[in-house]
Amino acid sequence: MLSSWLGRKKLLIGLALILMMTGLLGPAWAEEVRSTRYRYGAREVSTGYYEEYEVKPILYLPGGPLMRKGIPLESAPTEPIRWRTYLTDTHLGIRDYKRHHDCTDCHPQQGRDRHTVRAGITCDQCHGREPISGINHYWSPLSPIRRHAYICAKCHEGASVSYAEYAVHEPIPAMLSTRQTFPFLFFAFWMMATVAGGTFVVFLPHTALWGIRELLIMKKDRAESESKQQD
Amino acid sequence: MSPNSKTRIRRFSPLQRLFHLLLILCFMTQATTGLARMYIETVWGQRLAWVFGGYTPSRTIHIYVGIFMLCIFALHVLYMLSKVNWRKFPGSLVGPDSMLPQPRDLKESIQHFGWLLGMAKAPRFERWGYWEKFDYIGVCWGMCLLGATGLLLAYPLVASRIMPGWGLNVAFWVHKIEAILAMGHVFIIHFFIAHLRPHAFPMDRAMFEGSVDLAATQHEKPDWVARLEETGKLESVLVPEAPGWRRAFHYVFGYCAVALGIFLLIVALVNSLSITW
Repeated sequence: MLSSWLGRKKLLIGLALILMMTGLLGPAWAEEVRSTRYRYGAREVSTGYYEEYEVKPILYLPGGPLMRKGIPLESAPTEPIRWRTYLTDTHLGIRDYKRHHDCTDCHPQQGRDRHTVRAGITCDQCHGREPISGINHYWSPLSPIRRHAYICAKCHEGASVSYAEYAVHEPIPAMLSTRQTFPFLFFAFWMMATVAGGTFVVFLPHTALWGIRELLIMKKDRAESESKQQD
Repeated sequence: MSPNSKTRIRRFSPLQRLFHLLLILCFMTQATTGLARMYIETVWGQRLAWVFGGYTPSRTIHIYVGIFMLCIFALHVLYMLSKVNWRKFPGSLVGPDSMLPQPRDLKESIQHFGWLLGMAKAPRFERWGYWEKFDYIGVCWGMCLLGATGLLLAYPLVASRIMPGWGLNVAFWVHKIEAILAMGHVFIIHFFIAHLRPHAFPMDRAMFEGSVDLAATQHEKPDWVARLEETGKLESVLVPEAPGWRRAFHYVFGYCAVALGIFLLIVALVNSLSITW
């Protein structure tokens, strides 16, 4: 009876200890989770060095989800290509890929941004050499986990993860498609364009009419004064 | 008429004219350095940037002059607040000497449009016309918007700590469109209304000399002159014409600004298809 009671007591003490340890571990566990979020979002200043748990992909599916479903890769350039950003070789399976010498043959819009045109930055300086891995792939230099340190910080010293969210290949803000991909830019652009356009639509004719009206009045006044002089 | 005869009404104080002078100098510098960077892909943009020492110095000048402008604007806000009659607040904010928009402005603007189309009599304007209030409020709005987005773009690493990096894409476009609006408005609308329209031609010297011609004002802003006469203040605000050398300087300075503005506008429009937007 006593031994059974002592056994239960030990069990209870053991459970209490486990609960206490859980409580003690709680903040550390929470801190670890928080560090994933905050190190990148707020405190990180591009050391480029991370704990393994911070950078190891949680779930990496070779080939991407669509490939496993048997969707033909040849149609990829004309299909939504988001899943390709997770491939080791983002151009895997694209027909006649090797025949294209210039990236802008297939990605013309990506060659028209300020980084490319003004700074003269080439594609492989950021995307790496062949085989070019998808920008979200674990090993890509453009992977969000290290983009700021491996790419942005080359020129922008001190770049953070937040900073690396700058859209280098910015969509054309006026396009309707931008409403889906970058709604803030789309609405900010159209709001400002409406303000500017509205000002010009009202004040340009207003200014021109004002000039014409005063010219007509001057002409009329001159004619009247001339007729008075003749009288 | 003797040179000392008082034929002009004082319209702006020396401090107000100083604010305007600084605004001209800063705005022109910002327009030139901004366009030099925006058009750096063109030969014209490169030549414009060369004046300031190249692309990077143009950026540096743009940033520091921008910060200086913001300081001047902050001082102007303090000046404005010092001019408010706080004892009669908020009633003192409305009145003929106030720059705040009032119902009268809407009425006058509609009537003025009617006059422009030859369908109504010219409105009897008070001290500030609706277009002048629009210009003034437009500058305040532009300073806030261009200043805020300009600071974000000037210090992107700091900015990206308080907002996501893609906010810089948005700030860039807001800055660009607002700058185009400001330059377009000043170089076309403001310059034409203030200096080039037949009634004001060859130049409205009010912001340089601080005074406007009495006869012209009686014609354009009769309610203001009538109010000054009724309140017996007209005599006290009458001033003589500025000396000839000062007028000549005002013309040269003013027309340099007008010519630079129109030059920038025309060449920017011509080259607008040659740059990456």
